[in-house]
Amino acid sequence: MLLVTCPVCHIVGDETDFHAGGQAHVARPATTDPSNITDEQQRDYLFMRHNPRGLHFERWRCDRGCGKWFHAARDTLTMEFREFYLITDLPSAELQKQAKGPWADYFTARAKTKK
Amino acid sequence: MIEAKYESALANRSEPSNASILIREMNGRGMIDVRGAAADRKFLAAMKSVLGFDLPKVPRSSATWGDVRALWLSTDQWLITCNGTKADELSAALVAALGGLHSLVVNVSDMRAVIRLEGEGVRETVMKGTSIDLTDGDYPPGTVRRMRFAEIAALLHIVEDNVIEIYVFRSYADYVWEFLLKAARKGSEVRLFGNRG
Amino acid sequence: MGGLFYSESEDKEMTGKPYRLAASGSHIDRSKRLSFQFDGREVSGFAGDTLASAVLAQGQKLFGRSFKYHRPRGVVGLGSEEMNALVGVGTGGHLEPNLRATQVEVFNGLVAQSQNRWPSLTFDVGAINSKVSRFIPGGFYYKTFMWPQSFWKHVYEPFIRRAAGLGKAASEPDPDSYEHMHVHVDVLVVGGGLAGLTAAEAAAASGARVMLVDENPLLGGIADLTAGKVGVMYIVDHALAAAARLQSLPNVHVLCRSTVVGHYAHNYLMACERVADHDPSLLAAGAPRHRLWKIRAAQVILATGALERPIAFANNDRPGIMLASAVSGLLARQAVAMGSNGIVFTNNDNAYLTALALKKAGVGVRVVDSRLRSDGALVQRSLAEGIDVSFGSVISAVEGSQGVRAAKIAAYRKGQGRVITEKKVYCDFIAMSGGWNPVLHLWCHNGGKIKFDTVLASFRPDKHSDAIAAIGAANGTMTVSETLAEAHMAGEAAAKAVKPKAKAAKFKLPVVEEPKSAALEPLWFAPATGKYNEGNKHFIDFQNDVTVADLELAQREGYESVEHTKRYTTFGMATDQGKTSNINGLGVLSEATGKTIPEIGITTFRPPYTPYSFGSIAGALTGNLFLPVRRTPIFDWHVERGAVFEPVGQWRRAYTYPGAGEDKHASITREILSVRNKVGLLDASTLGKIEIKGPDAAEFLDRVYTNMFSTLKVGKCRYGLMMNELGFLTDDGVTVRLADDHFLMHTTSGGADRIAAHLEEWLQTEWTQYKVFVTPVTEQWAQFAIAGPKARDVMAKLDPDFDLSNEAFPHMSFKVGKLGGYPVRVFRISFSGEQSYEVATPANLGRGLWEAVLDAGTEFGIEPYGTEALHVLRAEKGYIVVGDETDGTTTPIDVGLESLVSKKKADFLGKRSLEQSYLKGPNRKQLVGLLTEDPIEVLPDGAYAVRVVKDKPPMEMIGQVTSTYMSPTLGRSIAMALIENGRSRMGETLSFPLEGGKVVKAKITDTVFYDKDGGRIHD
Repeated sequence: MLLVTCPVCHIVGDETDFHAGGQAHVARPATTDPSNITDEQQRDYLFMRHNPRGLHFERWRCDRGCGKWFHAARDTLTMEFREFYLITDLPSAELQKQAKGPWADYFTARAKTKK
Repeated sequence: MIEAKYESALANRSEPSNASILIREMNGRGMIDVRGAAADRKFLAAMKSVLGFDLPKVPRSSATWGDVRALWLSTDQWLITCNGTKADELSAALVAALGGLHSLVVNVSDMRAVIRLEGEGVRETVMKGTSIDLTDGDYPPGTVRRMRFAEIAALLHIVEDNVIEIYVFRSYADYVWEFLLKAARKGSEVRLFGNRG
Repeated sequence: MGGLFYSESEDKEMTGKPYRLAASGSHIDRSKRLSFQFDGREVSGFAGDTLASAVLAQGQKLFGRSFKYHRPRGVVGLGSEEMNALVGVGTGGHLEPNLRATQVEVFNGLVAQSQNRWPSLTFDVGAINSKVSRFIPGGFYYKTFMWPQSFWKHVYEPFIRRAAGLGKAASEPDPDSYEHMHVHVDVLVVGGGLAGLTAAEAAAASGARVMLVDENPLLGGIADLTAGKVGVMYIVDHALAAAARLQSLPNVHVLCRSTVVGHYAHNYLMACERVADHDPSLLAAGAPRHRLWKIRAAQVILATGALERPIAFANNDRPGIMLASAVSGLLARQAVAMGSNGIVFTNNDNAYLTALALKKAGVGVRVVDSRLRSDGALVQRSLAEGIDVSFGSVISAVEGSQGVRAAKIAAYRKGQGRVITEKKVYCDFIAMSGGWNPVLHLWCHNGGKIKFDTVLASFRPDKHSDAIAAIGAANGTMTVSETLAEAHMAGEAAAKAVKPKAKAAKFKLPVVEEPKSAALEPLWFAPATGKYNEGNKHFIDFQNDVTVADLELAQREGYESVEHTKRYTTFGMATDQGKTSNINGLGVLSEATGKTIPEIGITTFRPPYTPYSFGSIAGALTGNLFLPVRRTPIFDWHVERGAVFEPVGQWRRAYTYPGAGEDKHASITREILSVRNKVGLLDASTLGKIEIKGPDAAEFLDRVYTNMFSTLKVGKCRYGLMMNELGFLTDDGVTVRLADDHFLMHTTSGGADRIAAHLEEWLQTEWTQYKVFVTPVTEQWAQFAIAGPKARDVMAKLDPDFDLSNEAFPHMSFKVGKLGGYPVRVFRISFSGEQSYEVATPANLGRGLWEAVLDAGTEFGIEPYGTEALHVLRAEKGYIVVGDETDGTTTPIDVGLESLVSKKKADFLGKRSLEQSYLKGPNRKQLVGLLTEDPIEVLPDGAYAVRVVKDKPPMEMIGQVTSTYMSPTLGRSIAMALIENGRSRMGETLSFPLEGGKVVKAKITDTVFYDKDGGRIHD
């Protein structure tokens, strides 16, 4: 039974008070440019998920509490939560550096658009 | 002209006789769900102009003035409670005061049933149905917490040290009532730590 | 002198039985005599007895029959490690099987039975398995019960079921109550022995919330069986003093009779408290029988101690052969001696304590020690007291069947394969000790690493990623002085981790006086003269009847991995979880393979540590609390009216209202015709209702619905379809525009919570720029459909002032107002195809308005109708139900609602997915109507249409029936179905082969069966 902390209302509770929302930081192509999406892009967005041993970025909702969605970074091996952060935020610079796979790409892309 | 007949969720339930604490339905409570941004000063000012007090902004807290109370539900949601006969008037006043501000006020007085628990051991009784620990010092009077309770969603308000009100959706009132009768059964009391009774 | 008894020349047979000594017994109260039943026989004992001690005190050694061979078995262990003496306790619904007799506390009126024997304990038919056991080696079941398949059902399975298994479960419902309890603590200490007590006290000193859990009725662990002194106090007195201090502290909660059964992620632990098992009068007073504690601990300290290892020697399972600690425990606690003349068989110093205790109690004893020598203090004391010690010796065999009659002692050198000579000595019990295994179960449940310790010849804790520590014997620390220091430090460290600022109390390690021990020498298996056969079994896992020979056979047959060996032989499985067998098994495998024990590895310990009741797992959630049931404001009325209910999600909705002498079919027909010809009243309160408001509300709805909502006029209703991002239908319903920036959305009954969460998710995670609030209000309203040609008349009768004219209130429009004294929202919408008003009033006024509508409608022949009538009415009109006509892979186009999928909107949920090639393929199943050739034939729900009918399956399926009813309106059956390319096959006749060979033929039609031009809703 995981112990989850909501970064919005700061409750610390059993995972049954929360709702797990799967992989985080998956961009929805249709939001940015609905008319130019290839079948492959749409397929990747819908179905392709990363399942690493180690650092995993994911979405949760404070389902039985304040109702807000948020992000978490969790180690899938030890089950340790490394960070909880707001749904509109990115993880700390340190975790962004440790990120691999699609998250590394996503964080790099976000950093570029900021500049 | 037909007259409206009122029947609360637990109207047909009698006082429990074998419980170690008092359990009763608080019928006739007015409840108004208010949505608005806590960061929106105009919204807060408009709310205060009607309520007479500031909406609580600290998570899981509440504020009271007279028989009107505001329970924090989320960063952009509060439940205002009042005497049931005043709910329509109060929600109309809030809607008027909020005018064109981005907000949503709904009179939801019938949406939930409120069950009040009183007496020594109320906290431990509630802890039979929820994973939170009400005895660990984080739950002084005034605390509000939404939670999973006995398999369903509930809203908990610590009114006094030994008085707790549980708000549940009306359709579940019967289920929660039965659960509480069982959890509060005499002879099944749990006293934690120094509170050995 | 002990030695006298054993002279070979005397050859005196010992037939002693266990008995109660005249004095002492720390746990029993001789002034409180109790009486209970074991196997139908009246047995007396004292308060403080266990079932094991009381029955043994009566001279009975036999407690049960073994799992596979039905061999006679007695008590082996001291407490929860007991693997043989499993009993059923209680009668009728109270019966609980497989309890360990060593843990069952006796009380007046207790009823217990031995298990796995028929017809009686002393004469057991199943014992024939023992005679034929050479034919039941390891893996026997796998090898034998393979084919033919039909034999499984009729021959093998009944055989296995009868032969295998331990106790029988109760066949009646459990009448007792159970509950859960949650608690958060700073420090959880598991185990109330010397180590646990010391750690808990150290942790509590800083003010941390400390919980101490112990499985026994009394704290102290085995302090009473431990030699030495702390300061001037005996170890046991020191421990009990600490226990008394702890129990008086306000920040400490002590749970006895509670077993921590599992350790899970993030320091979540479960403990089962046996609240009333020892005293049924508590049950009558309202206590739960068991209480399952769900504990969240910031820090966990495991002080779970160690369990003594048996030794594998020939027939080491005979009743009367026990762990040395169990012999000592029975002697010290309940003053039960296991016989008159015993042998202590050991490979270590500790077991000499048992010899000394027996000697002191006046019981004859000698020691057989596999080591060549030991200069340990206890050994030297034993020799000084004149106890006969045979060094460099083992017990190579035991004689006796239902007990021990004699043992054969043979000279032994480490590594020796077979015994050449042996001498027989008569004795009536054997206390064995192969060393001690730290209890690692909880350490390992959540991934703790362990390492092999050659001094212990066992595993001990290594690393763990959780905030958890192991101390004392559980950590392989076997001396009192080291344990006290380690426990204190662990308690302090745990408290400091939680309360960094608290000051630690000053601690000075007390002076400890304890006997110095020499090293143990691993002894996994004592050799014998003969081969492994009947009369010569070396048991490793007593509970699962696994012998040394079975393990060696598994090796020879190639089961090299220890996990494979475990499954092949069943060693270390079931309720015992390898408590006493695991390390011994590994030792045997090590010798069989020439690998070291760490190389062999260890099997996984899984929760629970000991079995706990199903009742405690279910807790309070049984009977009427088993599942939350949602009631509408009209629920009680439905019950009073005799409604039949159906579950819709967690709701209970009225399905139909059979009248006197009516069956369900008749009442449903009557209800449908009432709506078509007069007027009906439906409780639709369960429909999901969500208020949506904000400057971007209209644009948001355009994103979540397939069709357009920004063009909807205030006061008007529109039917909307929702897809998920995959392009599949997930919900539908009518949404009304209350104001320019304010909407009220209706969802399906089952979809209310899901859709509200879905809207929040998209607002919070994707379209964060939208200013929109979403508030679910489903339960604020009681909502009814008044439907039928007389609906308007009923409304007018209720309140003549409400303007109901078609001009003022046309189909698909909305009004707020009052009906008599009732505040209402009225929607002119229809799911029946008739003129229809949906009226919503605050829930607490619901029942009043419901009855008022019925009163007003009496003269028009109004009748309440249930959900089945509702479904037939909508099917006659070809209206879909999401979940009936859709299955999670159905698109709006599949069900013929392409016109509701906007071509103008740039983006909405599911839009892009609908263009994916796999959803545009040519052979999608499409929704069509079906009319059977025989009009009174109703197709079964889900029936498959096939391309070609064959004699038997497989046949190629081309679609399935989604809704099917007898329509009273049309006087014939109707159905809808999803059929491959259905819409281009209008008029085609399809075949639906049913079970039993019957084939139903039906013609494809339009889905609208009634009032095709839809005029009636506008009347």
